[in-house]
Amino acid sequence: MTGIDHLLRKRLVICVGAGGVGKTTTSAALALAGALRGRRTGVITVDPARRLKDALGLDGLSSEPHQVRVNTACFDALALDAKRTFDALIERFAPTPAVAARIQANRLYQEVSKELAGSAEYMAMEKLHELLHTRRYQMLVVDTPPGAHANELLAAPKRLMNLLASRAASLLQSPAALLGGASSSLSSFALSTLLKALQRWTGIDLLRDLTDFAAGFEPMMEGFVSRAGDVQRLLRAPSTAFVLVTTNDPHTIETAIEFHHELRAGGFPVAGIIANRVFTFPQLPEDSADVAAWDEPLRGRLLRNYRELHQLAERDREALRKLHSETKAPLLAAIPAVTVAPTTLDGLERFARLL
Amino acid sequence: MLPMQAARLFFVTGKGGVGKTTVAAALGQYAAESGRRTLIIETAADGRLAHLFGHRVLDATPRRLRAGLDAVRVDGRQLLEEYFSRILRFRILSERLLSSHTFSALTAAAPGITEFLLLEKLLGWIEPGLLMRRRGYDVIIVDGPASGHALKLLHTPRALATMVPGGPLGTAARRLLALLGDHDRTQVLLVSLPEEMSVRETVETYHILADDLALNVTRPVVNRVFPRHFSAAEAHAIEQRARQQGTAVKPILTAACFNIAYRREAERHVAHLRRALGLSPILQRQLFTPKVHPADLEILGRMLGRALLEEQRPQTRNQRPETRNQRPETRDQKPETRNQRPETETNRP
Repeated sequence: MTGIDHLLRKRLVICVGAGGVGKTTTSAALALAGALRGRRTGVITVDPARRLKDALGLDGLSSEPHQVRVNTACFDALALDAKRTFDALIERFAPTPAVAARIQANRLYQEVSKELAGSAEYMAMEKLHELLHTRRYQMLVVDTPPGAHANELLAAPKRLMNLLASRAASLLQSPAALLGGASSSLSSFALSTLLKALQRWTGIDLLRDLTDFAAGFEPMMEGFVSRAGDVQRLLRAPSTAFVLVTTNDPHTIETAIEFHHELRAGGFPVAGIIANRVFTFPQLPEDSADVAAWDEPLRGRLLRNYRELHQLAERDREALRKLHSETKAPLLAAIPAVTVAPTTLDGLERFARLL
Repeated sequence: MLPMQAARLFFVTGKGGVGKTTVAAALGQYAAESGRRTLIIETAADGRLAHLFGHRVLDATPRRLRAGLDAVRVDGRQLLEEYFSRILRFRILSERLLSSHTFSALTAAAPGITEFLLLEKLLGWIEPGLLMRRRGYDVIIVDGPASGHALKLLHTPRALATMVPGGPLGTAARRLLALLGDHDRTQVLLVSLPEEMSVRETVETYHILADDLALNVTRPVVNRVFPRHFSAAEAHAIEQRARQQGTAVKPILTAACFNIAYRREAERHVAHLRRALGLSPILQRQLFTPKVHPADLEILGRMLGRALLEEQRPQTRNQRPETRNQRPETRDQKPETRNQRPETETNRP
C-alpha cells in the first residue's frame, strides 16, 4: 500500500504550506481521490481560485457543504468565510438574539472577527469540529489559509480564546493579573498608563468596548473553550494526518521545512509531502535523433528551451532532496507541472488520479 | 544652503513569494548606481534582502550594503516595545508586559498601532528635519509586507487622521497622509505572477490603493514570465508535430509545447492585467538558475529604474478626477501619458 493509500484512510487530512503552492487544488483532489476509492469525503477550502470555485459550484460564499459530482464519484465541498462563520457561531451560541446582536455590533468584535490574524484559522477549526460532529464524512480534508507559520495556525484558536475571554475580562478586574503573577501596584500603574496611552488610538470607548465584549462573551466561553480543546486533541489523534504541500520554489521549500519542524515540535502527525508543479526534463542525449529532425535556427531554440527546463527540473530535484533530507518526511506524490492550473472538474480528476 | 530635494518613496508589495524583495533590491541597486543616495527598508524578518547583496543580517540602524545603498530592517514588535518603554519609562515593565499574552490583546485593542509606529519611523528617514546634519536619502524603497498587510498599513494614516484630529499623533498622521498621497513623491509598486490567482489579487489591491486610498500605483511588475522562443507559425508546427506523435512524443517537443502553452497562458494573464489597470506591466523573465545572479538583478534594476526614476513624469498625475464615472477615460489614457515605450522584457533571446 502506498503512502497515499494510507493517507486516504485517515479521518482528517490537513494540508499546510506557503501561499500559492496549490493547497486548495490539492485538498480538493485529495477529497476526490478518497471518493474514487469509495469513501464519503468532504473538503473545507479557503479562498479558492475563481475558476476552481466555479467548477466546484462554490459560488456565493456558502459556508455549508455542497455536493460536487465528478463522473462516477462525488464529494462535498465548502468555501469558508471566516467572518460569516464567526457571526453564525455567535448567533448559535449566544443566550439570546439580543446578546448576539450586541456582540456583533461591538467594534472590538468586528476587528477580531475579520481583521485579527488567526480568525480564519480559528473558524476553520470550528467548522471542522461541527462537520466531524455530524459524522457525515469518513474523511475530511482541510485546506488551511495561507499563513506563514504552522504555529501561527495552530496557536491561533488559543490566542484568540485568550483575547476573547479571560484576558479582556481580567484586564478590567485586575490588570496586574496579566503580568504573570506580578501583582504589585507598580504593574497596575504601568497598565493603566498604557491603557490611557492606547486610548489615544481607539477613542474614549476602549474600556467600555472591552467590558461589553467580555460581558457578551462570558456565557459562551465555556463552549468555546471546550470545542477548542476537542479540536486540539483531534489534531493530534492517530486518525489525523498533516500533509506538507509545496512547489519547487526555494522560498516555499523553506516554508515547508519550517512548517514541518513546527508540526513535529507540537506533536502533530505529519504524513508526508505532496510536491506540486514538478518539472521532469532529464538530461538530453547529445546525439538525440528527435533534435536532428529539426533545422536551424529553430533547432537551436528548441535546444535552448530544453536546457532551460532541464535546469528548472534539476533545481526542483535539488530542492526536494533538501526538503526530504531536512524533514525525513516521505514524498507522497510529485505532481508534474502543467501549464494551466486544474480549474475544471476533469482537470481535478486527472490530478486526483495522479495521487 | 541649497533647497533639499524631496526624497522619493517606493512601496513594494504583492502576494507572498512573488519576488517583492528581488524587485526592491534591483530598484535600489539601480538608484544607488545612478548616484542617488538610497535606503531599502526591509519589513520581513527573513533576511533575504541582505542575502542578495552578500550580507548576513540587517538590524534597526541603516547599514551600508554598497556605495550609496543602505538597508535597514524594521520590526513591528520591536517598535512597539520601544514605544511602550517610552511611555512607561521603565524598560523592565514593558518587557514583562510584552512577554505575556497581553501583547496580542493590546495590539488588537489598539488596531493600527504597530503599523503607525512603522510608518512614523519611515517618516523620520524620509523627512529627517532641519536639525539633521547628514544629508537625507534621495530614494527610499520599502520592501513591504504581503498585500493584505500592506493594505492595512497604508490605510492606517487615514484612519488615524480621522480618529485623532489633534495632538502630536494627529499631526504625524496628517504628515504621513500627505507624504503617501503625494503622487510625485510616493509610488506603490505591485509585484505579480502571470497566473490567475496572482493577477486577480493584484487587480483587487490596485483598486483599493488607487481608488479608495487615492495613492499613485505605478506600472505593476510581472515576475517569472517564460521567454518567448517560438513564433506563432513555429508554435503551430511544433504543436501539430507533438499531436501526430501522440503518446510517443519526444521530450524536446514536450518541452517546446510546455514553453508555448506556458507563454500563451502568461500572455493571457498579462493582457488581462493591462486591461484591468490601464497600465503596461513591466515583465521580468523566469530565471533558470537556482539563485538570483547579480547580473539578473542589474538587468531588472535598469528596467525598473528607467520606468520609475528616469521617466518624464506627467504633470497631470495629481489631477486625477474624483468621480468614479470619469475615471475609465483617464485610465485608458494613462499608458500613453506615463510611458511611451512598449513594455520591456529582459534577456530576450
